[in-house]
Amino acid sequence: MIKKVLIANRGEIAVRIIRACREMGIMTVAVCSEADRNALHSQLADETICIGPAPSSESYLNVGRIISATMTSGADAIHPGFGFLSEDAEFAKICEKCNITFIGPTSEMIAASGNKANAKKTMIEAGVPVIPGSAEAANTPADGLKLAKIAGFPVMIKAALGGGGKGMRVARSEDVFEKAFLTAQAEAKASFGDDSMYVEHYVEHPKHIEVQILADKFGNVIHLGERDCSVQRNHQKLIEETPCDSLPEDLREKIREAAVKAAKAVSYENAGTCEFLVEPDGKFYFMEMNTRIQVEHPITEWVTGVDLIREQIKIASGLPLEYKQEDIRISGHSIEVRINAEDPEHKFRPCPGKIETVYLPGGKGVRVDSAVYAGLEIPPYYDSMLAKLSVWAPTREEARRKMQTALGEVIITGIKTNIDYQYSLITHKDFIEGRTDIDFIDRISRG
Amino acid sequence: MELRYLFKKTQTVRDDSLDREKKANRPSAPNGLFHKCPGCNETLFSDELKRNLFVCPNCGYYFRMYASTRIESIADKDTFTEWDDDIGETNPLSTPGYEKKIEALRQATELHEAVVTGRCKIGGIDSVLCVMDTRFMMASMGQVVGEKITRAVERATEERLPVIIFCASGGARMQEGIISLMQMAKTSAALERHSKEGLLYVSVLTDPTTGGVTASFAMLGDIILAEPGALIGFAGPRVIEQTIGQKLPEGFQRAEFLEEHGFVDAVVRRGDMKDTLSKILKLHSKGEFTPSGIKVPKKKGKKAKHTPWEKVMISRGKDRPIADDYIEKIFPDFTEFKGDRYYRDNKAVRCGIATFAGIPVTVIAQAKGSNTKKNIERDFGMPSPDGYRKALRAMKQAEKFSRPVICLVDTPGAFCGIEAEERGEGEAIARNLAAMSSLKTPILSIVISEAGSGGALAIAVADKVFMLENSIYAILSPEGYASILWKDSKRADEAASEMKLTADDLLDLKVIDGIIAEPEDLSRKTVGEVVPGMISCIESFIKETKDIPAEDLISSRYGRFRKF
Repeated sequence: MIKKVLIANRGEIAVRIIRACREMGIMTVAVCSEADRNALHSQLADETICIGPAPSSESYLNVGRIISATMTSGADAIHPGFGFLSEDAEFAKICEKCNITFIGPTSEMIAASGNKANAKKTMIEAGVPVIPGSAEAANTPADGLKLAKIAGFPVMIKAALGGGGKGMRVARSEDVFEKAFLTAQAEAKASFGDDSMYVEHYVEHPKHIEVQILADKFGNVIHLGERDCSVQRNHQKLIEETPCDSLPEDLREKIREAAVKAAKAVSYENAGTCEFLVEPDGKFYFMEMNTRIQVEHPITEWVTGVDLIREQIKIASGLPLEYKQEDIRISGHSIEVRINAEDPEHKFRPCPGKIETVYLPGGKGVRVDSAVYAGLEIPPYYDSMLAKLSVWAPTREEARRKMQTALGEVIITGIKTNIDYQYSLITHKDFIEGRTDIDFIDRISRG
Repeated sequence: MELRYLFKKTQTVRDDSLDREKKANRPSAPNGLFHKCPGCNETLFSDELKRNLFVCPNCGYYFRMYASTRIESIADKDTFTEWDDDIGETNPLSTPGYEKKIEALRQATELHEAVVTGRCKIGGIDSVLCVMDTRFMMASMGQVVGEKITRAVERATEERLPVIIFCASGGARMQEGIISLMQMAKTSAALERHSKEGLLYVSVLTDPTTGGVTASFAMLGDIILAEPGALIGFAGPRVIEQTIGQKLPEGFQRAEFLEEHGFVDAVVRRGDMKDTLSKILKLHSKGEFTPSGIKVPKKKGKKAKHTPWEKVMISRGKDRPIADDYIEKIFPDFTEFKGDRYYRDNKAVRCGIATFAGIPVTVIAQAKGSNTKKNIERDFGMPSPDGYRKALRAMKQAEKFSRPVICLVDTPGAFCGIEAEERGEGEAIARNLAAMSSLKTPILSIVISEAGSGGALAIAVADKVFMLENSIYAILSPEGYASILWKDSKRADEAASEMKLTADDLLDLKVIDGIIAEPEDLSRKTVGEVVPGMISCIESFIKETKDIPAEDLISSRYGRFRKF
């Protein structure tokens, strides 16, 4: 069993991990940058090692220093949290070589998931549905159309070397395909100097549904239900909930099974998340596997009663899963909102600064994961998330009301936050009625 | 208030078993997994360092490279065949313990000696590659090192292959005494034979290149490249400091210092080394002359007639294209080689090789700057003796490799100053005039703006001389002329008319052979409009001269100037 864990992260997730370790009788070592000497995780851990200046590249992303800190402190494991080095295959590999337990999947699995093209192939072979589209590139509208017919309209035409939205066009039907293809191709040629185009099915107004997976080193894989993370702004999740009541139960079951299949296909181990896009007509497609603990894991913990960090540590220690699939009972409904130091009135720009007052809500079914306290200076160098507020209640509407109540109590002064913005989302008619997809935020901000 | 003292942390009882556990199970970094960077002290992951070709990703520090890794980074995949890895060791002075030391090093480094030699392809071109490895007695040169290099060079001469040597050495091998010294002569002699056969030798100086290796094969390259920051010198810095009793300046004897002082053609980053070498090899391969046959459309309509003085002003115009602009447009793969190999790299002259119409050509250009700062750096296009000596070096190489020489003339005159006289400005110009008159390869000079005096002629003793329509070519500036003859420099406009310095006048006087038409408003922006005319002029020149035997060429060049 792991005896001492170094947490290669900061903020609320570092605090969350320290708490889990402490409950398990495991010693904790925090690492911090010079800007984070007063951060809660630095204060709370059994030991703290300052590993470098504020910029992440010189601290939380600096592999050499983190490994050195691990050796010096005598820790036998590293929990990477999320972000930073959590999905860095090379870092995981170095841990393996240094005989440090990396609390997460193996470096190979991380690398395999990171290679999108290969991952897609593996999933097709395993029978997990992926977005239909060309494995090969097309250079003429005629070839493109062949691929489009296989993918199914509407289709997305995109530059093979693309990025940043350039050289991308949606064609809704066959008769507009040629024009869209040529426009996208001309853009691609101008932007990337290459006119090879991919054609794939365009998934319209999908929901972002993801399934929490736990897998041990013995091939046991279970899922812990799905999470609906459709409420996103610029690909940043804002609100997550579970279960996804707006989808029929049989569809949800199919998605969960697909997730387990996907995890088994890559012989996954530890906690992971399979992301899917679900179309309004119920078609769903595997997107990618996140090989780390997710920000929104508390809502899964609410409805299943499983402590995911604890399970991660147990799996990494080589223990078999204690749960079988039938032991997992999803009960009630849970919602989480992310509270960020950002200014919704000014394009959500980050607002670092000194926190003057903090009041955080409580009561039955209310949980706060945060690393803020009054007097703490929020440094400008890192992610702007301050806290995660999550609630549980027997039904979705009760949970939503509980969230509305709790969110109404949150007070953070001294810096700008998105609390009011989140309050407006939680009380939005479409959200109340469960009519959210990934275009929800776009739709309401356009009015 | 520090929270850390207020929290009740769970007192985790330290488990004894943690200490009793076998050491093997405890986290530890296996040997070689990490490197500490001597430059910034950062801990670096070996794989990452290797991917970055042993340059610190954090601070750019250059680690010394193993010969094997170097070969891997330079030779095309799986093309390297090693030569002479079985030459027996020698102990010419019977130094006690020497054989044992060699044997131990062979075990530890898996190297046969301090240099690995062999044949490979680089960018698809067959080459002989020698790489020194400092792990082996600081890559000092003993008999085996000298022998391996000599044999490699001899074989390259026989098989007519280019040689590339990655130098790194502490110098002579003390244990072999005078025999080590003889290696300097031996290797240099082998390279001289190789060179006499018209073959290419590129030497690459890496950290550290010193002593007898610097004073022999390292400095004999037709082209000498160096890695950034490499220590390069004859005497080591410590020895110099002790001898002269002074602290040496920052950057002394580093690659950049040598480049500035004219001994290194280019400082090349490690990541670019293979591409640079491939390009150099390609530029030294025979090409097929494939002219574009570009036609220059005859402009219709009348152009404004400029007076000679107006042309003087146009040729000096602030927005007039400079050599850099023509090089960019006409010689897109121009690769610059710096230095006169005597004293300095003079920025008022740029020399290099480029591919033109399928064949390599040597380009020599008098280079003004595009702005004041660059102009100051380049002495406003007024070359010092070092500039002319660099140009001469480029011409001699062009002769060796049978490349036509294209000169772009643009200077108010040679640099006027104390240092220029100290180093023999007059001698340098004279030397060029003489050498160019008998250079065994075609020379074309094009006056692009102003060609002032001997400073211009020093790169214009050509088979053909062309001028851009509004450029000028004169014995001195009209201001100077007026001032000498009439004691009044304000009468420069009048002087300009008398001096016959316009292209039309000079064509009449047969000083030049042709005029290249300019657009109405030639500027750095519209430079593209004059380029077809220049390309066409260069193509016709190459076509006319490429099959003329060198003696005939020289004889007609003699006649061309004899007639005045």
